[in-house]
Amino acid sequence: MTRRRAAALAALLTVAALLGLAAAAGAATAPVTAQSALGVTGNDACFHCHGQQDMQNRTIDVGGEQQDIFVDRALYDASRHGGLACTSCHIGFKPGLHGADETQAWLITAKLTACDNCHADVFAMYRGSFHGNLVFGESSGKAPVCADCHVAHNITPPGSAAFRASIDSLCARCHPDQLKTYLDSYHGKAFFLGDAKTAVCTDCHGGHKILPPSNPESMVSKHNLVATCAQCHPGANENFAGFMVHVDPQSPRSSFAVWTFYALYIMLIAVVFTFGFVHTALYIYRGIKDGLYRRNRHG
Amino acid sequence: MASTGETVTAESAPQTVRTRIEYRRFNVFHRWMHFLVFVSFTVLVFTGMPLKYKDTEWARWFMDLFGGVTAAGVYHRIAALVTVFYWTLEFTFMVVMVLRSRGKLLRSPGSLMPGKKDLEDMIGMFAWFFGKGPKPQFDRYTYWEKFDYMSLMAGTVIIGMTGFMMWFPLWFTKVLPGIFLNIALVIHSNEALLAMGVIFIFVHFFSAHARPESFPLDKVIFTGSVPVDHYKAERPLEFARRVREGTLDEVLVEKRLTWRIYAADVLWWTITAFAGFCAILMTAFIIWSVFD
Ligand code: HEC
Ligand code: HEC
Ligand code: HEC
Ligand code: HEC
Ligand code: HEC
Ligand code: HEC
Ligand code: HEC
Ligand code: HEM
Repeated sequence: MTRRRAAALAALLTVAALLGLAAAAGAATAPVTAQSALGVTGNDACFHCHGQQDMQNRTIDVGGEQQDIFVDRALYDASRHGGLACTSCHIGFKPGLHGADETQAWLITAKLTACDNCHADVFAMYRGSFHGNLVFGESSGKAPVCADCHVAHNITPPGSAAFRASIDSLCARCHPDQLKTYLDSYHGKAFFLGDAKTAVCTDCHGGHKILPPSNPESMVSKHNLVATCAQCHPGANENFAGFMVHVDPQSPRSSFAVWTFYALYIMLIAVVFTFGFVHTALYIYRGIKDGLYRRNRHG
Repeated sequence: MASTGETVTAESAPQTVRTRIEYRRFNVFHRWMHFLVFVSFTVLVFTGMPLKYKDTEWARWFMDLFGGVTAAGVYHRIAALVTVFYWTLEFTFMVVMVLRSRGKLLRSPGSLMPGKKDLEDMIGMFAWFFGKGPKPQFDRYTYWEKFDYMSLMAGTVIIGMTGFMMWFPLWFTKVLPGIFLNIALVIHSNEALLAMGVIFIFVHFFSAHARPESFPLDKVIFTGSVPVDHYKAERPLEFARRVREGTLDEVLVEKRLTWRIYAADVLWWTITAFAGFCAILMTAFIIWSVFD
């Protein structure tokens, strides 16, 4: 009896506190953006469930993938979208247990097009890119969508070191060969060992308008490559841009010239090291056998 | 004690300072050169190899130790400038010496030029290893010392040129196509491994420490001279030649055996211990990454 009453009281107090907080938050962040017109206050209702770290059934099955429905409020509020209502992306969601219409619609289209409402320019670029075509075009396949690169509830400024550091592992999921060759070139080595200024995938390929090198609009097409390198290497010319980022020295098919030098050096190293090892070992053997180590001690 | 009784000759010196007649193998110039090579090469290896073996755990340790890739790159470039400096100095010195002697120096048995005798010596050494003959007698430089010197001088040109291509890629691609930069990286990276193997493991370190004649440490590159008897046994041909030509006096020095000599010994041992530690460490790291 008393337990139930206590629980009710606690719930009441919680609601009161939430309302108070919401009012304060609403007052403080009211003029952040036009989009916040939807009202930050609405988010409290969503966080009432989605902000609970210890809620039951925290993971749901989304197209075979397990996803966590917990949303970290501290991260969300501190992110670039901190002033946005949940419902500006999750259009039509109402607090409370959601109906199938809400969730199904979100999963199929809204997840891809929600961003379009406010970032139409970026979306248009993405839509025309190779990846965008894979997602929306007829030749459907698995390609990264907005929320694969930008963490949906923790949008960080794309220039930040943390965001840049995450890009390579993201592309690597689907382009492991290019990651390997990139990591073997100077940019990749420096990136791997913690250099934040060096080029990552999207510095050369762009974030949204990723196109194959054969497409003249691509940042890595013959047409644009010099300008792409010149972002960080002012004064770059055609020759400079001819440096091959994705070359595998160990494969003759990648670049025969580079492979030739690689193979020659590997042979040279093998010969010199083998000879050195044999010579050294025999010398020591003879020295021990003849007791030279003891006899020739000098100071 | 380090002093060998029979070579102490000046017992009659006024303040009873003991002295010893030694054979001067390296002059001050040689010794300073070696010091520059020693320091710059160690820095180059330790700031370069972590890039080559970036996947390994130790690569991260070293980059953290140096304060990041960018900082390591700066040290690498400073050491590279030291390398250019000593190489140019040594090369000029050699050219001047050879010109002054009107080319005679190159043909002298004591020169660093490889010749027919070196091949014979090498065959002779292998015969000796297998107990099939006496140990060959050497002149001023053995064949492995010549190889060591020549490979360092030639290797530095290769590694330096490719290094500068990577340092100033924009400048070099004013004329060269971009693929040269890819090739430069492959050459630099593998030449570095080759040079490290030669210097740190097989030729150089072995000949200075692990050979029976020099075990456990040949200090001559630091002290410049060694007791006459010892030198006579090690390089009999050079010794005999000097006796024959009457030029032995030029290289004999009287060393005063004061406490300074012993203090210096401690320093040489410390430096060598450090160098040995570096060499073993880097060798272990590379073996580690090969089998990783
Ligand atoms: C009463 C608690 C509760 C409230 C309040 C609530 N949700 Fe939910 N939400 C859930 C539960 C439980 C699930 C997982 C089960 C499901 O899919 O219905 C979920 C799932 C979701 C999903 C994932 C849908 C899917 O299946 O992929 C989204 C998006 C979502 N909620 C958004 C919101 C938004 C936006 C609000 C605020 C307007 C909100 N929720 C308020 C309980 C709540
Ligand atoms: C900028 C648009 C945007 C805003 C604002 C937004 N979300 Fe989301 N949300 C997404 C996207 C995109 C996904 C899909 C994430 C994915 O697939 O990785 C998602 C997924 C979810 C899910 C499903 C579980 C998951 O992580 O995949 C829940 C629950 C959810 N959001 C709740 C919220 C709540 C609560 C808020 C308000 C605090 C909110 N969202 C605000 C874009 C947004
Ligand atoms: C309701 C409108 C709205 C929606 C929908 C929306 N955003 Fe935003 N977004 C904003 C606003 C407002 C900012 C802050 C812009 C500013 O301050 O320059 C922003 C900022 C960003 C930034 C940071 C830009 C920067 O320069 O720091 C990224 C990245 C971003 N949004 C990605 C997304 C993604 C991905 C989606 C879809 C999942 C999305 N946005 C959906 C309104 C929206
Ligand atoms: C392949 C990864 C990737 C995908 C997918 C992606 N972005 Fe980006 N986004 C980036 C990178 C990288 C930047 C940094 C600036 C740049 O390189 O363009 C960025 C920057 C941004 C910015 C801020 C700067 C600007 O260009 O205005 C916004 C807003 C943004 N993205 C929104 C989106 C939206 C909306 C989508 C989905 C249509 C999306 N992004 C998909 C990687 C991606
Ligand atoms: C979810 C998987 C996925 C991720 C993540 C992904 N891509 Fe792709 N990407 C693809 C697919 C699939 C193709 C089409 C491949 C093909 O047709 O050969 C493609 C094609 C490309 C192409 C053109 C390839 C060609 O053959 O000319 C480029 C360039 C590219 N991606 C760059 C990137 C970059 C840069 C990133 C990271 C920012 C990235 N991709 C992340 C799946 C992905
Ligand atoms: C310094 C610039 C640069 C960086 C960094 C870079 N690339 Fe590339 N990438 C290029 C250029 C130039 C081409 C076209 C020429 C070629 O294929 O080598 C290219 C081609 C590609 C292709 C198409 C290959 C093909 O054969 O059509 C893919 C996929 C790709 N890159 C993925 C990536 C990924 C993933 C990363 C990050 C791990 C990355 N790139 C980093 C410059 C870069
Ligand atoms: C985001 C900036 C950025 C972009 C874009 C970029 N680079 Fe670099 N690159 C760097 C940085 C930083 C370094 C390291 C400079 C240093 O410390 O010497 C570097 C170094 C290099 C080097 C010298 C290192 C070596 O090992 O040879 C070459 C060559 C090079 N880049 C080629 C290119 C080419 C070609 C492109 C265009 C396809 C390109 N870079 C695009 C930032 C960039
Ligand atoms: C003599 C002049 C030299 C110059 C100008 C030079 C310059 C460079 C430059 C510019 C790089 C690119 C990485 C960076 O920016 O830090 C590099 C990498 C490297 N250097 Fe040097 N260097 C020189 C000598 C040496 C020597 C003597 C060694 C070792 C024996 C060495 C070992 C390395 C290694 C291992 C790398 C990494 C290669 C890789 O990524 O695989 N360098 N050097």
